[in-house]
Amino acid sequence: MTGHKNVIEVEGKVVECLRSAMFTVELENGHQVLAHISGKIRKHYIRIMLGDRVLVELPPYDLARGRIVFRYRN
Amino acid sequence: MDSRTHATGPAGHATLVTRVAYGQWHALEDDLVVGRGHLQHRPDGRLFISVDAWHDAAFARLAEAMTAALPGPLHTVVDEADSELAAAWRRAGFTVARREVEYAVPTGPEVTGLCVPVPPPGVTLVPAGQADEEMLREVDHAIRAEVEATVGWRAMPAEVVPRADGDTIVDPSLYAVAATDERYLGLIRVVRVKRPRIGLLAVRADDRRRGVGRALLAHALGVLHRAGISEAWTEVDASNPAATALFRGAGARPVGSTLELVR
Repeated sequence: MTGHKNVIEVEGKVVECLRSAMFTVELENGHQVLAHISGKIRKHYIRIMLGDRVLVELPPYDLARGRIVFRYRN
Repeated sequence: MDSRTHATGPAGHATLVTRVAYGQWHALEDDLVVGRGHLQHRPDGRLFISVDAWHDAAFARLAEAMTAALPGPLHTVVDEADSELAAAWRRAGFTVARREVEYAVPTGPEVTGLCVPVPPPGVTLVPAGQADEEMLREVDHAIRAEVEATVGWRAMPAEVVPRADGDTIVDPSLYAVAATDERYLGLIRVVRVKRPRIGLLAVRADDRRRGVGRALLAHALGVLHRAGISEAWTEVDASNPAATALFRGAGARPVGSTLELVR
């Protein structure tokens, strides 16, 4: 398998839907990041809406932006 | 595992693209994952890929590695508003094959203008959960065969639910139908997960332009409205003027669009 686990994943809540397919996500620690939807979940036509609880992946060198990799059902 | 090292990324580090599993690729810089590629087999046999990278160079390397390793045609899906991502796929040789517009569909008759469903004479509307399963499957198969012969149902990007061979009705209870005494003429499928989604609205070719689709839509929206739901959503192929006119005529407003790209 991959063996590459050096990504940071945190849960958050979508607090703003922006233009250009971007979202503001408030993380559990109160920090806000600018996030886009991952291609992997875009392929499955999963829609992200205001208030959705999501899992956000943060890049290893820039914690101000992120990528939504999962949307929780509730 | 298949790996190849490419030219440097923006930080000056060499980018190593590695196929870590059958359908997974990683782009690594100094052992940090700076991008991922993923392959998905659709039930209709098409291959869809995605690339998530933290910078353009990693995206390009992943796209290059995946397109070299996989047989074409390869498909991908992007939000049309994400112009940077669409441009990155175009640079990788992909072109737009289909555009879908997402609509928010109001359910209130004061907005839709669809107060009472009025099917054509001799046609009745059968609510969801009451349709005869055998007749439902028959009309679904018949319409699919008609569409295959014209614009191509297989190209519907949202038809991704895995199902048993030959069975195109996953949950019969989701379908309302328009019926005569002899047969079903059309069907509408509404799924209620969070925001209700109109996943399918279709009418037999011989029975189009008679108001059957409009009556089915009015019926489905009325059911949602009476359940206290103010809005549903759906996607419409931008090249389908009849479907676009039907939903726009019911007050639907475009809220986004999706591009399917192919190489």
